Amino acid sequence: MKIARRAQAGTMQSSDLQVFLEPADTLNIEIESTVKKQFEHLIRQKIEEVLGRHGVTAGTIRITDRGALDYAIEARLETALRRAIKESEA
Amino acid sequence: MVVELISHRDFHRARELVTGGGLLFEENFANLVGIFEEDALVAVGAREGNILKMIAIEPSRQSGALLGELVSELIRLGYEAGNDSFFIFTGPQNAASFQALNFIPLVHHPKTTLLEYGGGLGRYLEAHRSLVREGENGAVVVNCNPFTLGHRYLIEEAARRVDTLYVFVVREDRSSFPFEIRFRLVREGTADLANVTVLESSAYAVSHITFPTYFLKDADSPFDIQMEVDLSLFGRHLAPFFHIRRRFTGTEPYCRTTRLYSEAMKRILPRYGVETVQLERRWEGEEVVSAFRVREALRKEAHETVRRLVPPSTLRFILSDEGKEIRERLSGSDRRRH
Repeated sequence: MKIARRAQAGTMQSSDLQVFLEPADTLNIEIESTVKKQFEHLIRQKIEEVLGRHGVTAGTIRITDRGALDYAIEARLETALRRAIKESEA
Repeated sequence: MVVELISHRDFHRARELVTGGGLLFEENFANLVGIFEEDALVAVGAREGNILKMIAIEPSRQSGALLGELVSELIRLGYEAGNDSFFIFTGPQNAASFQALNFIPLVHHPKTTLLEYGGGLGRYLEAHRSLVREGENGAVVVNCNPFTLGHRYLIEEAARRVDTLYVFVVREDRSSFPFEIRFRLVREGTADLANVTVLESSAYAVSHITFPTYFLKDADSPFDIQMEVDLSLFGRHLAPFFHIRRRFTGTEPYCRTTRLYSEAMKRILPRYGVETVQLERRWEGEEVVSAFRVREALRKEAHETVRRLVPPSTLRFILSDEGKEIRERLSGSDRRRH
């Protein structure tokens, strides 16, 4: 799957995250988080897992997280991915 | 729920909330949004381009989640409009509330804190990492509207005093010559100088974020604060990344804005270990060479004067078909100062 259009999902609320997707030639994952020091590696792992499942190999994925749990990360990223495809097909 | 405020009645209520919070209500914005509770407006905020402003929350409701809700919506709208990174100026006492939302402080000034959301500065620096050279480097920040023999002289003199000279060309497109052209002419006009590197300044030096007044004609807005924020950002983030130890500027006999800016350099940059070096401007006839003079000459279609003030590369562009449009625009009514 290819990220062909800019798309976003999520909010800035506590325990949530915002996901921004943009087309790019390589895969770049940028993570900003209020709990970056403790959890950046786990957030990254989750992001990579979801991207892997959808076969995303290129694109810029920017995350700003406020302590979201795994399932929230997964849900927000999947929503953003779906929007990126849907908008590109439209 | 966050809604766009569009009716006169909503505007009026927004204005009350904003001014009640000690902020100025400005009419220019792309979105004005608010949150209502039982028909009372309890939170308001606006976006203009990549700037968030006029964010005010009813005092009794400030401890809750309204700020996050409001700012999420402004960012959503701003991202949809094509922006990647967002800026906010806020009182130092409010900076922590924005930091909790993943805004990163770029500059702490006693009167204001500039924060960014979206990591734009990091991306800007990363994109230019391949240009970083070790050594005692220098910098000039120039608009070059257009590139003249005066710029050439300043850059040549500065380059002689440092290992690498970074020439930051103002990215903002508010001058008679568009950014792409200004950038290209600086590149062409300095191509023979081996230790000169030309790059764009993005939002991070003399931009509508850091120094909006620069682009206005008779400005007397919060001048000092803007210049100090702009220079602090340079000193704190750009200078260490590029190993810049000296910033060069020309003596300025005419433009008050530029003169005050040079004075602010001497005040602010030493805090960041950057020395300000002021170089004597190049003269031609009775006056210093300036881009302003070039534009005046173009306005009068005095091409012989232009020829004496600009290098061959700039002249070639001005006389080309591509330059024709700008020439015609200048001989019209375009009289921007920078």
